[in-house]
Amino acid sequence: MTRPSIDDGRALARAAEREATERQPPHRPLIGALLVAGMAVALGVAMAGIPREHAPLPLIARYALEIAIPRWKFTEPVNEIVYGTRGFDTFGETFLLLAAVVSVVVITRPREKRRGYFGESAAGAREQRQDDPDVGYDATEQEARSAELREQDERASSGGEPAETPDATPLGTPAPETAEAMTVVVRTAIRVTLPILAVAGLYLVAWGYSPGGGFPGGAVILGVLLLVYAGYGRRRISKVIRPELIETLELAGAGLIIMTEFLGLVLKGSFSANWLPLAQELTPLSGGVAQLFSGSELIEVGTGLTIAVFALLGMTHDWARDEGGNGAGEERER
Amino acid sequence: MILVNYLASAALLCTGLYVLLTRRNLIKIVMGLSLMEASTYLFMVSLAYRAGSTAPVLAGPPAGKTARQLAHGNVADPVLQNFCLTAIVIGVAVTAVFLSVTVRIAQHYRTLDADRVRAMRG
Repeated sequence: MTRPSIDDGRALARAAEREATERQPPHRPLIGALLVAGMAVALGVAMAGIPREHAPLPLIARYALEIAIPRWKFTEPVNEIVYGTRGFDTFGETFLLLAAVVSVVVITRPREKRRGYFGESAAGAREQRQDDPDVGYDATEQEARSAELREQDERASSGGEPAETPDATPLGTPAPETAEAMTVVVRTAIRVTLPILAVAGLYLVAWGYSPGGGFPGGAVILGVLLLVYAGYGRRRISKVIRPELIETLELAGAGLIIMTEFLGLVLKGSFSANWLPLAQELTPLSGGVAQLFSGSELIEVGTGLTIAVFALLGMTHDWARDEGGNGAGEERER
Repeated sequence: MILVNYLASAALLCTGLYVLLTRRNLIKIVMGLSLMEASTYLFMVSLAYRAGSTAPVLAGPPAGKTARQLAHGNVADPVLQNFCLTAIVIGVAVTAVFLSVTVRIAQHYRTLDADRVRAMRG
């Protein structure tokens, strides 16, 4: 296996030093200031004319407050709006979130292991011979690929049992994760707060008291996972945060939302109408279909944000050798 | 004076816009966008405020009042609070997209200076 050469290291160090020390003067500050001033004037004029603290509530807000209990048995009007009155908008927003998560996954994902036979080599053989007869990697690409593989192997091999004590860690193995350096105080604090946070988040979603239900609930789930990550490192949660698992959950959540809303159209004649019996107020089943929507949203938002954040945290290096001398952007143009 | 809140959110938005227009560092540009996002949260929550109002929660009305009276009484606007909630979640996801693009650009061009990323320049 080849390691990145010293030349590469020097080029990178030079690029990093330039980034750190070079002054980057603001780009056209005068034009920027003028545009911003124009924006400020427009906003100021607009804001002088909008309703203030003594204005009556808009009709839609009053309507939502009035129907929250009679129609949905919801004592939380914000939830009633998110999953009832504005259910269709929330439906759209959910898929905006899904689109953002898919974009992050597409941008950040490293190469995956092959899982099936595609036959693309046989299918494209004629074109390959015509356009690029010199098949195969050159030395540079070989080097980059092996470095990338090594990085992935190190990740995979670090998933095993960690050594008993730091002294027992074999020489030559990758450095411990930053999280291993966390003190007992931090870890105990995380251990104590985790269950409280998780249960509080789920409770707020289940009883429909929290404004937004599944949205803040999903953010709480992400917070719980990030706390584990910060205190115990990627190794400990790698069993839970597997792409196969959370991506399946994410799409299951999306499927559940589509089903919930679409059954309203089938059974009650309008999209996102309530088709479930309503229980007494202040019980988990009080919102009917809105609670089901909120629960699905918890899955969708929780897994979606987790995928996005952990994809960013897990982005691997780019091992391709820099072309040209100092690693600056211009030199890499072709 | 809720107008102060409105103006503060406008100032926040203008700060973010100025950063967006004049900075060359991609991380700072993403931070500018986040500032603009945050200004909309402040604006929507301020717009929902009503003088002397209670939170839009109908559970456990105070003694001598019913939930129905609460619904007709002086409460903050729940619709705008709802907008704010969804905006925060979408904002996090969009910031994640921007940051992942930024990391890829930094890996490919070895720079965060938007002026040096010129493969798209004619």
